[in-house]
Amino acid sequence: MSTAAARLSGRQLSWLRIKAVARRHYYVLLRAPHRLFDVTIWPLVDVLLFGSIAAFVNPGHATAGHLAAGYLLSGILLWHVVYQSQIALATGFLEEAWTRNLLNLMVTPMREVEYVAGVVMFGMVKLFMGLAVVSVTALAFFAFNVTDLGIGLIPVAAVLLVCGWVIALFVIALVLRFGTGAEALAWGILFVILPLSGVFYPVAALPWILRPLAQALPTTHAFIAGRALFDGRGLLWSELGIALLGCVLLGAVVILFLTRMLQAFRTRGYISRYT
Amino acid sequence: MSGLTKRFGDTTAVDGIDMVVRAGERVGLLGPNGAGKTTTLLMLLGVVAPDKGWIEVTGHRLPKGRSAAMADVGFAAGYLPLPERLKVDEYLRFYGQLYGVEDPDIDAALDRFGVAHLAPARGTDLSSGQRTLVGIVKAILHGPKLLVLDEPTASLDPDVALRVRTGLQALCRDEGTTLLVTSHNMVEVERMCDRVVFIASGRIVADGTPAAVAGAFGGADLESVFLRLAGRDITEHPYERGQETERPSL
Repeated sequence: MSTAAARLSGRQLSWLRIKAVARRHYYVLLRAPHRLFDVTIWPLVDVLLFGSIAAFVNPGHATAGHLAAGYLLSGILLWHVVYQSQIALATGFLEEAWTRNLLNLMVTPMREVEYVAGVVMFGMVKLFMGLAVVSVTALAFFAFNVTDLGIGLIPVAAVLLVCGWVIALFVIALVLRFGTGAEALAWGILFVILPLSGVFYPVAALPWILRPLAQALPTTHAFIAGRALFDGRGLLWSELGIALLGCVLLGAVVILFLTRMLQAFRTRGYISRYT
Repeated sequence: MSGLTKRFGDTTAVDGIDMVVRAGERVGLLGPNGAGKTTTLLMLLGVVAPDKGWIEVTGHRLPKGRSAAMADVGFAAGYLPLPERLKVDEYLRFYGQLYGVEDPDIDAALDRFGVAHLAPARGTDLSSGQRTLVGIVKAILHGPKLLVLDEPTASLDPDVALRVRTGLQALCRDEGTTLLVTSHNMVEVERMCDRVVFIASGRIVADGTPAAVAGAFGGADLESVFLRLAGRDITEHPYERGQETERPSL
């Protein structure tokens, strides 16, 4: 046989690589049922947990209780946008580390951005699966209809989606620098961001000392915009703008950090950790 | 590559290596453990950045031209596993597509090494020899100009090692593929390579045909050169000098 094979080039080639990476991660999800926990069980557990708390504080549909229930359920829905997008990208990369596939990938002509795009592409599928579970469970068990939040939900979710990717890139940078010991951050970092972002409550509810930190997080402003949707105040473009700007700035810093960590990875020969 | 140098802390892994591998050559990169072979290969592949020196692969200077250079290179290592959750054909299609081959001829590539029957098997179900063969198939699927193999036959039984060697020889003959291979199996290298480069303590200490290198070190074959460089000069052993009548117990 001749191994000389016709090869694509340019954008067609990039698209082929992105699809190949996405398909590779589809196989991972298909053959590792425990990975489905992230997109089925945890969303279900979260909605049951926070929906039940909401039902407890909202026995007679009193105004305050009704508000609390809505904040909890709309909060958990939007939180899962951050959670699913972050986990999909971070664990997608970690899968290569766990299966010692990093060296094989790094010696291919694939560019880093193509790899990330491929993982993100399949991550979107996981995101929609997770959100579908949240939406259906909230409707079935707690009569909370996501569509009541209106079309303004889309830009809020879009900003949170980007925030999730930025957090994931930060985690990947740390794993490149510190090895798989840093993998606990893939999940752990979210539990730091969750309370600080005011997912279920306004920033004013946080201890005063933490409020400046909370205000500095782009996620906080996206959740403020999300709560305004539930309150029927429409889309707060100013808050969403701050969230987007913060996300872009943070994203630029994280990409710079990731580039440095990748440089350190190559300079210090950290690939030996994965061979 | 020219003036290639790499230090890790106080250890100099590669110390000013100059080497040109010409198209169509079959080069064995040899040396004891820790000599700097794998570090040299990893720098050639753009995975480890050199401290000094430069590397050019098929006309592309690293690191800027890494992506274009790696499109012409195939790599396999005997120590790398296959990803757990992929079948062999999925794994090969995945890597073929990363190199731009939309629909790689997987069956033919597997058949070259006599393992076409492995296509539907999971990576975790393969023996180490089968994994090595599939890894090599992965490396040649896109028709690389340069094939880089790190310990391809380590831990293989003689039958599988022979299959690897035969397949590689046919590939180099039929496609004109350039081969750069590290191995601790000197007999295999003598049969497979037309040039050997010995590295010791990060430096090239010998470069030439297997016979010329063996001759230059006063040995009959590459193994005696290897043992000498590794600090265990076989001719210094009493048994080898003929002073002992019985083979020493191991």
